[in-house]
Amino acid sequence: MSMTSEAVLGRKARWANIRRETGRALAAALIALGVAFIIILFTSKAPLEAFNVLLTAPISRPRTIGLWIDDVAKLTITGLAFSLVFQARQFSMGVQGQVYVGGLAAAYVALSPIGATWLAIPVGVLCAMIAGGFYGFIPGIAKAKLGANEIVSSLMLNYIAIELCNYLVRTQLVPPGSGVLTTNDFPATAVFPALVAGTRIDIGLILAIVAVLAVWFALYRTAWGLKLRLVGHNAQFAEYSGIRSTVIMVSAMTVAGALGGLLGAMFVQGQSYGKLTILFEGGLAFEGILIAIVARSRPLAVPVVALFYGYLRQGAQLMNIRTDVPSEVIGVVTAIIILLVASSFSLPGRKFFARLFGRDPASSAVMEAGK
Amino acid sequence: MIELFMTVFSATFFVTVVRTSTPLLLSTLGGLIADLSGALNVALEGMMLVGCLTAVIVSVFAPWYVAVLAAIAAGALLGAVMAFFHLRLKADIILVGFAINIFATGGTVFALTLATGGDKGTSINLPSKAIPALDLSFLGVIPGIGHTLVQFLSGHSILSWVAAFLVFAIWYFLYRTPWGLWLRGVGEYPAAPEAAGIPVNAIRAWSLLVSGALAALGGAQLAMFNYVGFTRDMTAGRGFIALGAVLLGARHPVGALLAALLFGFFEALAVVMPGLFNWIPAELIRMIPFIVTVLALVLFSYRAMRARQLRTLSKI
Repeated sequence: MSMTSEAVLGRKARWANIRRETGRALAAALIALGVAFIIILFTSKAPLEAFNVLLTAPISRPRTIGLWIDDVAKLTITGLAFSLVFQARQFSMGVQGQVYVGGLAAAYVALSPIGATWLAIPVGVLCAMIAGGFYGFIPGIAKAKLGANEIVSSLMLNYIAIELCNYLVRTQLVPPGSGVLTTNDFPATAVFPALVAGTRIDIGLILAIVAVLAVWFALYRTAWGLKLRLVGHNAQFAEYSGIRSTVIMVSAMTVAGALGGLLGAMFVQGQSYGKLTILFEGGLAFEGILIAIVARSRPLAVPVVALFYGYLRQGAQLMNIRTDVPSEVIGVVTAIIILLVASSFSLPGRKFFARLFGRDPASSAVMEAGK
Repeated sequence: MIELFMTVFSATFFVTVVRTSTPLLLSTLGGLIADLSGALNVALEGMMLVGCLTAVIVSVFAPWYVAVLAAIAAGALLGAVMAFFHLRLKADIILVGFAINIFATGGTVFALTLATGGDKGTSINLPSKAIPALDLSFLGVIPGIGHTLVQFLSGHSILSWVAAFLVFAIWYFLYRTPWGLWLRGVGEYPAAPEAAGIPVNAIRAWSLLVSGALAALGGAQLAMFNYVGFTRDMTAGRGFIALGAVLLGARHPVGALLAALLFGFFEALAVVMPGLFNWIPAELIRMIPFIVTVLALVLFSYRAMRARQLRTLSKI
């Protein structure tokens, strides 16, 4: 009897928590949109129209809905990768590099004889995940064995992967003599079939949903996930309780790398390209940071955040095309959302303003000192 | 091979190395200050980028030194934003840093569009100014070595001399003044300075401010001397390399100088190598600084780990 009432209490607390987090995220988004509106007001000749495009264009046509959903699938995967890394309290920033090596691996499979058979998609995705996983493993093992800062090493690996991709595309993957930096179209068997004909919605969406469920299951229903969250919470405590925290950290970064590799395959094999172009990723991988922060690294919240943010992202792209406001406004919006959500701002109230003006005794350096 | 040696040991190559090292050195010093105060400043890249754009835009309307000062102010402002969100609102410093980077990547392109009236790629239409080079040709009158001195010392940006002076100034500040001790103490073990009544958060905030100012000064050198003008993402990872250089330089100003010179050397090599070895692909040459950073980081971490192990062993 007491067990059940405890469970009810727990559930109530969890709902209250979810409501609070959602409220904070929405408030941050509203503040950021307000700032975006002010910026647009000052830059555009027709600000209301530009803002209207930003907010309504993505659902205006089936084609734009397809663009939006395709973005959501990709943002979900990168958000999941960052969530895994953040939950283990690591700050590996290597998803971008993993996307490039994953895309390369998938492209090699698609352009090989395997590419013309039904094996092209499963083998391509698998190879991409292995390549990405390996690329995530490197900064992980360097951190675990040598204490090499994972932020710096993973960022360097991003640039190395981009240059590697440029080089291999130019020298090996592009038919000789053609001046372009794009491979031939992959054979039809190597391209993800579309779920809705004529749009970019392809089986990448299913892969994303499967990945969400798999990561959720791994984190909350397996011993590995429990250990990972313990390590993320307090690595020393985890170590004392017999968990080899370095193994957990490295494995978390490797699995996140495999997700990054999967994203690479989704890019090059998806309906959006169906070929490998240099710089195909276009900075999307980094936006997983925002997704993971707003979702508080919870796998089930990641796709929800991705839906909202993907919408905003597509809106900005369309605003760029149809109006005089450049899409880079979204960078400012993103930064504001990250700043607000990552900080412990509560919905504007007495406490928030007290802290803003430094009157809250809890915000003094004493707390900081404990770090 | 002979040609490579000839090039590397020539005075022109030395001047190129100093030129490529200066933005890195300034940014590395910025990273060092933040790192020693206990905050890993991953926003160096974004601060440099904002420094670049501010310097270019202000230099259209004002003399070069005003533009440099404006860049410093812009960087310090970003540092203040970081300090506000990290210290007041308790946001994670790394996430705040990346927010600044994302803001800088989008914001600079956006601001450039406004400033140029629609050009999203470069500031080629803006008549921006350059930082003058310091002419030391009067040293030529010194008999014997005068000519060599002029070759090696003349023609550097004024900011290169400022950067060299800053290495000394920051070393003096950190190791010879009480404030430097406070700063290092705050980074080492904040509870002790707190107990001693030292304003921990104020010191951290000032460190981030100075960190941003130095990174933006590096950006000003990049956009007003190395290249004159702004192109989108022109920092191209230099801020992150500077972050690696902080760790590589053993978190010491002189180490920072050596690390920045090392990376500057490889960047300069990447500039001259295509002319000498056209069979080496350009992509691989561009990779060199990043590979060097990873290798150097791994090697240095390995050495630091060995030193730690030896220390613990000797205690037993």
